[in-house]
Amino acid sequence: MSLSGLVLSIADNKQMLGLRYAEWATRAPSLEADIAAAAMGLDDLGHSRVLYGCLDPLGEDPRTANRETDPASLSALPYFDEPWSSWAHFVAANAILDTAFTVMVEACVNGKVEVLRHRLRKMLTEERYHFLHGRSWLRSGIEKGPLDEAWKQAIEWFGPPDGDTAGLHKEGKLSMGPAELKARLEERVETKAPAIKADWNGWDPIRRRTRPGAVDDLTFGMLRGLEEKRFAPATTEKQA
Amino acid sequence: MGPGRLTLAVKYKRVSGDAVEYAVFARKTRAEPLRQVGSVVAPDDDLAAAYARATYDEERWIEMAIVRKDHVIALWTPGES
Repeated sequence: MSLSGLVLSIADNKQMLGLRYAEWATRAPSLEADIAAAAMGLDDLGHSRVLYGCLDPLGEDPRTANRETDPASLSALPYFDEPWSSWAHFVAANAILDTAFTVMVEACVNGKVEVLRHRLRKMLTEERYHFLHGRSWLRSGIEKGPLDEAWKQAIEWFGPPDGDTAGLHKEGKLSMGPAELKARLEERVETKAPAIKADWNGWDPIRRRTRPGAVDDLTFGMLRGLEEKRFAPATTEKQA
Repeated sequence: MGPGRLTLAVKYKRVSGDAVEYAVFARKTRAEPLRQVGSVVAPDDDLAAAYARATYDEERWIEMAIVRKDHVIALWTPGES
C-alpha cells in the first residue's frame, strides 16, 4: 500500500469513529460524557476531512468510484461496521483505537513528507483530550471482550511486520514501523497488548483488516448524504 | 446489534458517587484575568480536563484551567464578610 492508501485508511477510520462517537452523544453515563462524545465526534469528523484533503497533494488519490455504491470499498475497521452496543465498546474504541490512529498520525508528523508534517500536527493537540478521556475511563475498568477486540484490530491495522508500514518506515515517510507503533500505543495507554496472533494470510492490505464485512446500510446511507436527502423539502430538490 | 438494544452492563459508580466538582477558568486575551466560565463533575483530573475542554471550547479562549472546588480555600462566603 502507498502512503496515500494509508492516509485514506486513517481518514475513513476517523470518519467512522466520529460517527460512532456521535451516536453516543445522548447515551453516555453522564451529561459530561455525552458532551465529550459529541465534541470528540466533531473532532474526528474534522480530522477525516483534513486527511482526505491530503490525498491530492500526496499525488495519488486512491478513492474509487464504487465508494458511492459499495460499503466494502471503505477502508474502515470491523469495529465500526455496526453501532456499538455498550459503553465498554465506546471506551475501548476511545482508549485503544483512537490512540492507535493518533500514534499513526504522530508517525506521519515525524516522518519526512511535508504535507503530512504540516497539516496533521494540530490533530495531535486536539487528540490529547480524547486520550485523557479514553485513558481515564479505561482505568475504571471495562469488559474484556471489546477491549481485546480493539487491541486486535489496532495491531492488525498497524500492519504485518514486513508489510507496507514497515516499508514506509524504512523510506522515512513514517517515523515508526509496526513494532514501534504497537510499543508506542502500549506506552501511551500504560498497558500491554493482550497476546494476539494475527492471521496475516487473511489480512486485506487495502482495508487493513482480516475480517470481511462492511459498514451497516443505515450508516453508509448517512455517509453518502441519503439520510439527509430524505428530509430535504421537494422544492430544494428541484432547485438542485 | 443496533441503537435500540444499547445496554449499560456495568454500573459506573464514577459518574456521581466518586465524582467531584471542578471549576473551569478561561480568558480570551492576555490583558484580561482568568474568570470562572463554568464547572464540570468528574472522578479525576484527566477526565475533568477532557470534559472542560469539550463543554467550554465554543469560544476562542487563549487559556483554560481547572481547579478542584474542594481545593479552593474560602476566606469568607456570601453573608460572612
